[in-house]
Amino acid sequence: MPNKDSRATIPPSAGRAWRLLWLALVLSGAGFAQPPLQVVATTAMVGDVAKAVAGECAVVVTLMGPGTDPHLYRASASDVAALAAADVILYSGLGLEGRLATALTELGKRVTTAAVAELAVPKGERLVHPSGVADPHAWLSAAAWAGTARVIAELLATELTARAPDGASDCVEGLAERAAAYEQRVLALHDWAKATLASVPRERRVLVTAHDAFHYFGRAYDVEVVGIQGLSTDSEAAVADVRRVADLVVTRGVRALFVESTIDPRTVLAVLDAVASRGGTAVLGPELYGDAMGVEGSSAGTYLGMLVSNVTVITRALGGEVLPLPTSVAEWVTILPAASSGEGAK
Amino acid sequence: MSAHAAVPALELSGVSVSYGQTHAITDVDLSIPQGTLAAIVGPNGAGKSSLMKAVLGLTSATGDVKVLGKRAAAGRHLVAYVPQRRSVDWDFPATVLDVVLMGLYRELRWWRRIGRGERDRAMQALAEVGMADLARRQITKLSGGQQQRVFLARALVQDADLYLLDEPLAGVDAPSEAALMATLRNLVASGRTVVAVHHDLSTLQAHFDWLAFIHRKVIAAGPLTECLTLENLRSTYGTQLLAVPAVWEATHA
Amino acid sequence: MPDLLAFLGDPTVLIVGAGAVLLGGVAGGLGAFAVLRRQSLLGDAMAHAALPGVVVGYLVSGERSAGPILAGALVSGLAAGLAALHLSRLPRIKSDAALGVSLSLGFALGVVLLTRVQGSAGGHQAGLEAYLFGQAAATLRGDLLWLAGAVVLCTATMVVAWRPAKLTTFDREYAAASQVRVRLVDALLTGVLALTIVLGLRMVGVVLMAALVVAPAVAARQWSSSLLGMVLGGAAIGAGSALSGALISASAPGLATGPLIVVVASAVAGVALLTSRRESQRA
Repeated sequence: MPNKDSRATIPPSAGRAWRLLWLALVLSGAGFAQPPLQVVATTAMVGDVAKAVAGECAVVVTLMGPGTDPHLYRASASDVAALAAADVILYSGLGLEGRLATALTELGKRVTTAAVAELAVPKGERLVHPSGVADPHAWLSAAAWAGTARVIAELLATELTARAPDGASDCVEGLAERAAAYEQRVLALHDWAKATLASVPRERRVLVTAHDAFHYFGRAYDVEVVGIQGLSTDSEAAVADVRRVADLVVTRGVRALFVESTIDPRTVLAVLDAVASRGGTAVLGPELYGDAMGVEGSSAGTYLGMLVSNVTVITRALGGEVLPLPTSVAEWVTILPAASSGEGAK
Repeated sequence: MSAHAAVPALELSGVSVSYGQTHAITDVDLSIPQGTLAAIVGPNGAGKSSLMKAVLGLTSATGDVKVLGKRAAAGRHLVAYVPQRRSVDWDFPATVLDVVLMGLYRELRWWRRIGRGERDRAMQALAEVGMADLARRQITKLSGGQQQRVFLARALVQDADLYLLDEPLAGVDAPSEAALMATLRNLVASGRTVVAVHHDLSTLQAHFDWLAFIHRKVIAAGPLTECLTLENLRSTYGTQLLAVPAVWEATHA
Repeated sequence: MPDLLAFLGDPTVLIVGAGAVLLGGVAGGLGAFAVLRRQSLLGDAMAHAALPGVVVGYLVSGERSAGPILAGALVSGLAAGLAALHLSRLPRIKSDAALGVSLSLGFALGVVLLTRVQGSAGGHQAGLEAYLFGQAAATLRGDLLWLAGAVVLCTATMVVAWRPAKLTTFDREYAAASQVRVRLVDALLTGVLALTIVLGLRMVGVVLMAALVVAPAVAARQWSSSLLGMVLGGAAIGAGSALSGALISASAPGLATGPLIVVVASAVAGVALLTSRRESQRA
């Protein structure tokens, strides 16, 4: 078999049009007995897991790049073309890709489409906001997201079997193996995260961000989560909110406040100002990856790397101690001593 | 002033004003002597305001304009302008005195405060037009005639040599008209020159001593007694003035 | 009572309040000229047309820092204002139509760019929407410096250009005849107004900024007998309304500051108009 890197690393600077072209080239060059499945994932969190699971059995392309807000992302004409040309479409679900909903429903009639978060997280374990809206940020809890590996493997296996009932067995096995290995890594990461964050004294274990994206994270790792602005990125933070959060930060001695890569830091800066005038000493922590991952090629550009970065950064900033990574994960991600996430080799 | 008596107060040579394709006035030659109370008359659209704008430098014009022998900025310094009172929105927070003081803005540097001296000059000008007791009144409360007198007072404080007025008697009540004309006659008596675009042919002879008929060009110009002829009226107004004979009679009553 | 004192002494409240006073003051003062020149819509056009500049400023600089964004807003807002002024001098279009066109075109362009940016990769773009209605609670100390600087600049400009501005506003023809450079004065007034509007965008937002310029001036007109009185009155009413709005919204959660400021200023204007003892203008 031609030695192809089926993780289909797309050059980082390529735009969507080039991805389409790449897809076409890959397709035309394929000479497999069983051609790899064409998989399109919406968010990078979904896409990264899919790539880890797929091996050579599928080619995975991700629509949303680093720093893109999935709540606001609209499909362009080229996106829809890529989605329509796919064999399988994987999206996160739980209402995350709000503006893609119509496109996904329509495409679902012709292409196998699956909301992996909804499949991986049973209803009883999902978080719902007081207003009744589902919280879609399940990937921020490694335990919750671990299930997506198996879900994706099963989906791809079914699809491959449907297309080539006889020749799919190799892939089916491979998919299951890789999914199990990945799940192990993610769960190991989960334990590590829990232990690391536990090193921050409970009093100070408060995660203050501009808006409420980290509830899954908070529940998984026993961290109190405070969003200044509330649920929606649209609403305006009121002066009362700024004061309330500033009071809390000072009372509890929280050392750092955080901003996500997709949010304007001014509200957090206003809170920091208020904290400083109350005599507090909180600082602005490094960027967190909430709705999107880091730049492709850096280790925060993978799902594992993104979580490691978040946990490391939060733990250090709040005054805890970062434990060494478990070996199964350490092969994949490294932690730099500085306050930024590591440049890991893969 | 006798040394300069020969120099015309206002001299236009070959002055033309066009707006795009439209020629408002073409090749106007006009020479208005000092010490006259001159009227510029003509039908609507004859180019009277264009003529005025050319003198004031408000529009691009070809040809030569000289005020007391001086051109451009030097000449314009000697001119005081009284616009039509309708060209202004009188719903403005200011007193009568405020408006008259505006006539002094040209000569004051921005840091100079308006002091006693300036106020006195303004009050004097108001007295000239008979409005001194209304100095503190808000301009929103003025009648048409009062508005016109305020504008004239504003021009008076400039102590200019040439006064240009745009339809000063339009829509003005009788007492104001009398006050205005009295002031203008005083100006002329002291050696200054007054040029007014005038709208009402029937009052020409009563008020003015010099006349220019304009209809895109100068039809006729000169002392009123010579210039105000039936023929000139017909040439200027053509078919527009059906009542030429009636006007003729009225002016020669 | 101690609660009230603590509230008023709270640094966040003080910063937001100070910002409101500075902004309301300069906007209300300059509003006098906009209203008297019948260019109330000009402020609105410039505010709405600032939106494309906000987005372009972000695109050019690549991050959310204030400088490029506000510079972009100033350029596009000012361009729209001057374009509208120029258009209204052409024979076939009246000033209200020219301003309406500028406003809609600018704002539509801004929304197109905004949604385009949100959908594209590259991130860091959330927070641009805050410019629509403002985010007063996120006023920082650095913002106060900019506002204070703007107040000083606008005041100095108006002091130096006071008489030409007054003259051109009252009697444009006479001003021109008096060798006043009318177009320069127009551009200057438009410029300081644009600066004020741009600085107000982060507090009150694009959609409502114009009201903060117009409402205090309208109120002040009912009670003033001189231009200076109207300008100072407008400044006082603007500052007062803005401060009240800011304080009220700070006192309870869930009250948006920008809109509340505008509500207060408009209410004052409404009361002023109803109780006005000015007679209607004589013909």
